Amino acid sequence: MNNQPDNLTQQLDKLPEDIKPSRDLWQGIELAITHDAPAQPARSRWPLAAAAGLVLPAVLVWLFMSGGQPPVGSTNPTVVAQMSKQFESQKASLLVAYQDQNAVADNWQGQLAELESAADAIKAALENNPNNMALLRMLQSVYQQQIDLIERVHAPKWQQI
Amino acid sequence: MTVEQGNVVNAEAAFTQHQLQQQIEAAQQGDMVAYRQLYDRFVGKVYALSYRLTGDAAMAEDATQEVFVQVWQKLGNFSGKSQFATWLHSVTANITISYLRKQKGWLKRMFSMEPETEQQLLAEPATDLTQLDKCIVRLPERARLVFVLHAVEGYRHEEIGRMLNMATGTSKAQYHRARSLLEEWLGEGSE
Repeated sequence: MNNQPDNLTQQLDKLPEDIKPSRDLWQGIELAITHDAPAQPARSRWPLAAAAGLVLPAVLVWLFMSGGQPPVGSTNPTVVAQMSKQFESQKASLLVAYQDQNAVADNWQGQLAELESAADAIKAALENNPNNMALLRMLQSVYQQQIDLIERVHAPKWQQI
Repeated sequence: MTVEQGNVVNAEAAFTQHQLQQQIEAAQQGDMVAYRQLYDRFVGKVYALSYRLTGDAAMAEDATQEVFVQVWQKLGNFSGKSQFATWLHSVTANITISYLRKQKGWLKRMFSMEPETEQQLLAEPATDLTQLDKCIVRLPERARLVFVLHAVEGYRHEEIGRMLNMATGTSKAQYHRARSLLEEWLGEGSE
């Protein structure tokens, strides 16, 4: 009598539930999960960048709406101070948010220092010429460039796809 | 087993179940450490099923990784109405079949009218395999998939037909073909 079917059934009953892979697969899984998962720090940084992009132009719009030429020696220093305060706050938040993340460019801090020097020079010029709207726009632009630079080197577009 | 021993076993089972439940809930909240614990607990089961379905160690490793990446993303869908292991096995089977479909030559292998050939092993086979596992991975692809899903995982032929886009009768025929080949090979091995 052929007992092979019984042999197959017996072996099926003894089939182990587990087979261990020959290598550790976790590293690849962790990498994929970390890459794919909605990175919460990155998510929280976007509102900061968006705010930086909105607040600074809003200050300029307010300047134009209020007559284009701020009263001499009174409003303009306040506006500059307000712009600078907002900017420094946004910048500090971004730098804290990205502090544990490697930048894709080595010299970004040098570029940032150059933009900071430019901002300081514009602010010094505004102290001497507080009604100069071109200087205000330049200051706003230099602040925005700093925000863009920090964003660009830490979260380039190709990494967000 | 005495009543006392039975109580200890029940307590251990309840503790293990409670621990598993905690790990699942923590992982659902995004706890990577808890998810690693779930991986350690289930990787052998997931790999075993993937290996038997693919018949290839390298593809099984890829499919296992794919399973754990997708399970992480789908963990929120697990409601706890079924056993986690049952849910995971179902997800593993579907993802591995989907993975196989993406491989070059799937349609040719699945629907070729030419006589099917034994699986060509492409990678280093897993060690410590039972004789039956060594034979399962030699089976032609369709016969292997049907046999693993029906005989090992307990799916009905109607379910297998839906999973593999084949008629129920074809699933039954492939199962019998697989059994015949396995009986023949196991017979050779025991002589």
